[in-house]
Amino acid sequence: MIIHHWRITRRRISATAVLGVFVLVSTCAWSSIFIHWTSPALPPARELGFSDLVLSYDAPSPLMQAARKQGYRVYVEMSPQQATALATKAESEGWAGIILNARQSERAQALNAFASLRSAHPKLRFFVLDPDGKQPEMRGSLVIKRDAVLEVSSPTAQPWIDSNLALVRVEQGADNGQVPMYSFSWNSPTAGQLARTNTAADYSLAVAEAGAFHADLILELDAGLQKALSQRDRQAWTLWKQVRSYAEFYSHPAQEGLQAAADVAVVVDDLDPSDEAMNLMARHNIPFEVSSATNLQSEDMEGVDVVVVFAKPDKKLAFQLEHLASQGKTVVVVDAHGSYPWQSQGAVQLNEHAVSYAVGSGKVLELSEPVSDPETFAQDIRRLIGNRNALLSLWNGLTTIAVPYRQNHGGLKVLELINYAQDPVRVQVKVKGSFAAIRYESPENGCCKSFAPAQHDGFTEFVIPDLAIAGRVLLENQPETGSGKGHP
Amino acid sequence: MRFNRPWIAALLLIFSSAASVQSTTRPGLVLQKRYIMGTVFEIAAYDQSSQHASTAIDQAFQEIVHVDDELSNYKSGSALSKLNRSAHFHAETVPSDLYRVIETAVQFSKLSEGKFDISVAPLVNLWKAALSGDAEPTLEQQQKVKGCVGYKKIEFIAPRQISFRSPCMQLDLGAIGKGYAVDRAAEVLRAGGILNALINAGGSTMLAMGAPPGQSAWLVHLRDPSHKIDPQVMLKDESVSTSEQTIPSLLGKDSPGHIIDPETGQPVQTEFAVSVIAKTGLMSDSLSTTLLLLGPAKGRVLIQGMAEVSAIWIAPDARVETVMSGPQIVFGRKA
Repeated sequence: MIIHHWRITRRRISATAVLGVFVLVSTCAWSSIFIHWTSPALPPARELGFSDLVLSYDAPSPLMQAARKQGYRVYVEMSPQQATALATKAESEGWAGIILNARQSERAQALNAFASLRSAHPKLRFFVLDPDGKQPEMRGSLVIKRDAVLEVSSPTAQPWIDSNLALVRVEQGADNGQVPMYSFSWNSPTAGQLARTNTAADYSLAVAEAGAFHADLILELDAGLQKALSQRDRQAWTLWKQVRSYAEFYSHPAQEGLQAAADVAVVVDDLDPSDEAMNLMARHNIPFEVSSATNLQSEDMEGVDVVVVFAKPDKKLAFQLEHLASQGKTVVVVDAHGSYPWQSQGAVQLNEHAVSYAVGSGKVLELSEPVSDPETFAQDIRRLIGNRNALLSLWNGLTTIAVPYRQNHGGLKVLELINYAQDPVRVQVKVKGSFAAIRYESPENGCCKSFAPAQHDGFTEFVIPDLAIAGRVLLENQPETGSGKGHP
Repeated sequence: MRFNRPWIAALLLIFSSAASVQSTTRPGLVLQKRYIMGTVFEIAAYDQSSQHASTAIDQAFQEIVHVDDELSNYKSGSALSKLNRSAHFHAETVPSDLYRVIETAVQFSKLSEGKFDISVAPLVNLWKAALSGDAEPTLEQQQKVKGCVGYKKIEFIAPRQISFRSPCMQLDLGAIGKGYAVDRAAEVLRAGGILNALINAGGSTMLAMGAPPGQSAWLVHLRDPSHKIDPQVMLKDESVSTSEQTIPSLLGKDSPGHIIDPETGQPVQTEFAVSVIAKTGLMSDSLSTTLLLLGPAKGRVLIQGMAEVSAIWIAPDARVETVMSGPQIVFGRKA
């Protein structure tokens, strides 16, 4: 069964599953899992359940031919320079497309190549890949160094999450006309540590994360797993069926036309997903979007309450920021020394490094130094949003990231949740808006449970009793009477 | 990683949920983590058999979950929650674990003359909203809630009954529960034959059992808000806990902290991070909060009479105070 990029109804998916018919269909703009394959043998696409296979540009020719014969669409990963030279060969050899592997420093070059290659080779699909994703996981605070001596890095810090949400938001902010695509390498054991093999939960979490964030992922498979799958090892296939169920869950949109909702707009001059402030905002469930300082569209910021600027504003941007503040927003300008129009207003010194300027019904806060403590900064941003405005609050959600989606600038419709702890947690959720019905579906249990909503002062509260790896909340104004919308 | 045959790591298949088997004679390290008690618990254990270590670690995690089921004030069905609901009306029979933890906490309350007090929960709840950006409670509200607080209002009826002599008393074991949990986890590991392990409760409390192979003890770097002195300690069959008030806001004025002084009814004003080393997690955990509230001068007096306890107070400007009758705290750098 093909797992991604299709726009058919859930009922049809169900029927397909019942009949055991394996269908390979074309992709669309949603979220896809591409499988990175390195082993010489491979199972047929219809058995693996994924049809998009990524091979290295120097993969042996027999493997490329075998992959096509086994029913895969073959994409070849290479640098932008190699793509320019090999695109014609790609067409003649029947590749489905080329994936341009470009680190941040090569981004501009890759985007230029992407545009020109697309127009020169319309039959091929091209993607720009960010290869610097992280293995999604809940992290502890122990650091192993010097062959089996353990250290603690930060005794009072809260649990960490390694997520790819900031990377995805930055890619979306780049607005290069494609769904964000990333890959990551699995963490290696550190000194003295016994090798740990990836589990079904590890792969499932990676697949679920990409699906929940509406991004494309190139998933690396352990060499042992590839070999076992191609040898039809029963345990390997048991593992893989679980992973496949997560991909199936995210293979269709919860609703059409959803957009990520945000409380915060982050304005940057270089799009660097490694920025820890954004990672910490993600971990604290502060919904944010990213915009380039050179391409800020003030009209896109109607829904946000706080604008965080990690860029030195030029005259145009400074004017835009002052205008946003005058409309009631809080603008936080970080480490951008200079003269700005809002400084003509009365300044209030907040502390040694922070000054506030009242502007219209909003304010501009200047922080005179880089963010020294991203954790505290994220909590400050949460306070600036305020309890009355926050789209989303979680309780007992320290290992959970929730991503809210809305429809066409309207109210919230869907909440995608990922639990990086992997063990089921009981999460209490508060969302902005009054909803009459809360429905919940998950890859583990399908569709749908109903949770009793409690409405208070324009907010709706409910409890998810057992969020395992992933779940989706459908926020409904009226309870649905039909049963055809559910996930199979 | 020291594989004699490194390719083994690549060929082992992926079906184990923990770690694969190592075929060397040197014990290997198995490291696992679980989210329990609102934080990430990690257990690192050395053993010849990774399967044996994994099984023992699983059992230790189960014990921590069991402790949480009794000590949590978040879980409505926990023994503590039941006690908080009913001990105003009648003496409530509680599990022996809970009785022991509350009894130990009250001993520290007496030692610190009330600075450490597990009945501070109503004040903590009062200040929670202010931490998330709402207005601070008024003095009148603070005074009213202070009437609910006081360890002397907890009555023990041996062997396992507790009652409250205040209609609004609530207990919160957040300042001691993780310490007890690491102690219990260590007992389970020992019973399972694991002798060299380190149990980390979210970085705030750790307990070291034995030592890594070829080492005399576990090296632990302590919290250093100055980032200048890198304090370190070698732990062997000892525990270390760290307490620190909430870090001040970068974009505002003073933000209220999460550690409340039961005497004043307000968040304690201190820049220090305090780390305490003691023989058990129960002791290090409760002492670290106590010493944060007392400060270096009074804290020094309190622990000078205690055997095998070391403590360090560190300020962001690298001011340091130490008391050491236990393991030596050394500095990796000089301020």
